[in-house]
Amino acid sequence: MAAAPKIPFEPSYRDIDRSVLRVMEPAGPAYWAWIGLCFTLVAIAAALWVRQIYTGLGVTGLRQPVMWAIYITNFVFWVGIAHSGTLISAILFLFRTKWRTAVYRAAETMTIFAVATAGLFPLVHLGRVWFFYWLLPYPNERYLQPDFRSPLVWDAFAVSTYLTISALFWTMGLIPDIANAREAATGWRKKFYTVLAMGWQGTDRQWRHYSMAYLLMAGLATPLVISVHSVVSWDFAMAINPGWHSTIFAPYFVAGAIFSGVAMVITLLIPMRKLLGIEDLLTEWHFDNLAKVVLLTSLVVSYAYITEAFMTWYAGDPIEQMTFHMRYFGPWGWMYWVMVSCNCVIPLLLFSPRIRVNMRALWIITIFVNIGMWFERFVIIAGSLTANFDPSQWGSYRPSVTEIMITVGSFAWFLGLFSLFSRFLPIISMTELKEGIVWLRKALKMDRVKAA
Amino acid sequence: MSTIAIISSFADDTRCAQAIEELRAAQVGDFNTFSPIPSHKIEHAIGRPKSPVRWLVLVGGITGVLTGLAITIGTTYEWRLNAGGKPLLSWPPFIVICFELMVLLGGIFGFFGVLMLSGVPTTESAPGYDGRFGEDRFGIVVRCDEAQAARVESMLKESGAEEVVREDEAQPR
Repeated sequence: MAAAPKIPFEPSYRDIDRSVLRVMEPAGPAYWAWIGLCFTLVAIAAALWVRQIYTGLGVTGLRQPVMWAIYITNFVFWVGIAHSGTLISAILFLFRTKWRTAVYRAAETMTIFAVATAGLFPLVHLGRVWFFYWLLPYPNERYLQPDFRSPLVWDAFAVSTYLTISALFWTMGLIPDIANAREAATGWRKKFYTVLAMGWQGTDRQWRHYSMAYLLMAGLATPLVISVHSVVSWDFAMAINPGWHSTIFAPYFVAGAIFSGVAMVITLLIPMRKLLGIEDLLTEWHFDNLAKVVLLTSLVVSYAYITEAFMTWYAGDPIEQMTFHMRYFGPWGWMYWVMVSCNCVIPLLLFSPRIRVNMRALWIITIFVNIGMWFERFVIIAGSLTANFDPSQWGSYRPSVTEIMITVGSFAWFLGLFSLFSRFLPIISMTELKEGIVWLRKALKMDRVKAA
Repeated sequence: MSTIAIISSFADDTRCAQAIEELRAAQVGDFNTFSPIPSHKIEHAIGRPKSPVRWLVLVGGITGVLTGLAITIGTTYEWRLNAGGKPLLSWPPFIVICFELMVLLGGIFGFFGVLMLSGVPTTESAPGYDGRFGEDRFGIVVRCDEAQAARVESMLKESGAEEVVREDEAQPR
């Protein structure tokens, strides 16, 4: 790829197009080596999953009483990661937030691939995966139906709705940009974009329906974001298991999801802007604002940890208190303190405006947040299952190589899909960036004045 | 008398909207506009009623809620499971399903409504479309009688059009 030309002080619509379309030019061998590495790891994970299906769940570390562990941790983690995309594309759209235009496409793309990754884990977790459709209500020969009072059934509806709506919202936003790419492309890419653009030409009739539908879909997606992670939290909160049965779970999970999701957006965008040469489109101003969202949600999550501890102490239930004592000081206590350090202490550095715009520091902080949030899910899920009301059922858990490699494969799957997307379709929305060009110009001025 | 198309391009939506207002006031021919972004100025100038896609979303949402009620109530009656002596129909969990299906069908109706109302997918190109209209130019294509063509051209130029050409003179890009 040619060296990225610096876009002018006062960029025009054409400058935006050129910068974004240049990213979609054919990639070099390093890129394909990276894609090859990602999909090799996916192939290893897939082979291990096939072995697990063939020989049974005995190849995992899952034993009574810990029947939910890394797989469900990954499910909750990836659903959480997915939330920032819809936050940025729908909620911040309704609030008319100025900085969202540059980051929304990458965040939404992340949402699609994160939900696609999350959706795999309930299947991976099943002993008899070929019966996955038992959660769906279909007219079967014995009139057996799923129990709609079960949170697992709500979960199937919530996650599949979330994937569908996010994909439609994302596709709709992509159509005008693909039509734009179609005009500039040549060869097979021209044919590819012509098919995907579906004949979009930006007439007033098209924009009128598009704008209305976009607004309404943002309106529908906003409560959906809140509902999906609330439903995921109810998978736990509706059970009477100590450590799970908590009324704070829904808001706490939603805040945690946005926290981890926005942190993941930053983790992906910082290297991406450098590698793809789009520093002029994703400015320090954008990262400053994203970092503020991370800081705010970190404070909410910290507050939730404190409230959870307080409620356990104040309620006086000895079993619940024992579970929390184990969580803090038991054999896996170190995980809890890693989680607190990563999610509550380290993000406090973001109070400093200088750290918020220091790309290296911000990247490291967000990686810590990702680690902390994964541990949070693990501590809640596996940690709470090790000890319940009956000491005869207490047990322990140790992840197996199969589980670890399938987890690694899920990260490779997500990163591989995201990397493929970033070179073949517009990773920054040209249309939205043009709509908010005034703000891009202001951001560039701020950046360059600071640099000078 | 034959109808001809006059294609004009503008550097910004303000001038484009102004030209549309003048064309509407003068009532010369019918016109179509192209723009790289959704522009409220152009939308107001054209003055078309609000998109009916909102009704489709509403119909989708209501269909979703009704489907949710039908499957939760219907399947519960079909497979009567007494859980701890609780009532057979427990409404709070059913609301979750109804809500999810409302969003799902509302969104699907909205998405396919946009495609249907916008006339996509299509393989046909709208008359006067130019690749620049997807990039950085705002376009108006006026279809009028030959007798009105000169007047339309001068109106477009006066409104600030950068380029005004008749369809047969336009260079394909």
